[in-house]
Amino acid sequence: MENNSESASVYDLVTLMSSYNDTRRAILLALAHIYPRSVSGVQLSRLIGYSGKSRSLYRGVISHLKDEEVIQIDQLTPKLYAIRVNNEHPLISVLVELCRTHGENARKLYLKALEEE
Amino acid sequence: MKLEDSLLKQARALYKDRLRIALAAFIFVFAITFYLFYSPEIITLGITPRDGVMPTGWTQGFSVVASVNTLGFFSAVLLMALIFKIWSWAFLPSPASTFTLTVLRGILGSQTLIKNSFGKRFRVTLENGLQFDVNCSIKEKDTGEWFVYNLVSTKLQCDTLRNIALRHGFGVKDNRLVANVSNDELHHRTFLLTKAMMLAGTTI
Repeated sequence: MENNSESASVYDLVTLMSSYNDTRRAILLALAHIYPRSVSGVQLSRLIGYSGKSRSLYRGVISHLKDEEVIQIDQLTPKLYAIRVNNEHPLISVLVELCRTHGENARKLYLKALEEE
Repeated sequence: MKLEDSLLKQARALYKDRLRIALAAFIFVFAITFYLFYSPEIITLGITPRDGVMPTGWTQGFSVVASVNTLGFFSAVLLMALIFKIWSWAFLPSPASTFTLTVLRGILGSQTLIKNSFGKRFRVTLENGLQFDVNCSIKEKDTGEWFVYNLVSTKLQCDTLRNIALRHGFGVKDNRLVANVSNDELHHRTFLLTKAMMLAGTTI
């Protein structure tokens, strides 16, 4: 390892990601790949293949992730929200960086899925 | 995982069954209360509508409605509803508390002190004396998700608390580490909470 603190961050990131359940992992991976683009709640629930209502996803997992400062939510209109990962989070910035350098192909897939409205 | 899943499934079924039984009992008790309060003499409150406003038969009916009996009856029903509400709010079905205790003991060691003094709250005391609470809600209102946990640590004094919290997936509220976790995350996130608290506790 060339940089010790960097690999420590990667270690923390791996443990953090494995502490999350499927839904949270899917959300973070998808959002980190498409960063800095943001998505709406409906787009996100479709992107991660969530079968329930996007409203319950929003009220549950997404608001919890927001409380933990892992994602950011901007309210565009009273009913439309823009959701993206919080790049100022010490570990999420590592994830975004990893996705940026190694995740080109995955990003293409995610973006393609987003464009098929 | 298999055992834990089946425990929660049991707990869910038990909870639903109990609700049904409670509702049936409620209807039954409601009928009895109704009988008890209205079969004795009706004590009117002395309020009578002015003459000519209502037909005479209605005035009699009104005196039954506006009576001490009705007041008593309503307070009895209110009391029943309150007891039911407290009962369903405060107690966790026992398979669910078994699940929670098993998970916590599994990750923290069987020597760890876990107090389940109050229905849905588990207070864990770590080796270094720091504590955190694991609060379980049977069904989350907004999302309909079953057995969701809320983790809250005690107040921690540490300069780098926010950084430690974020690096372990926790938010900071009022110098406490907080997170909402689903039941399949309980194991690992409690582990991370413990680790974070050890770090924050030693770097005062």
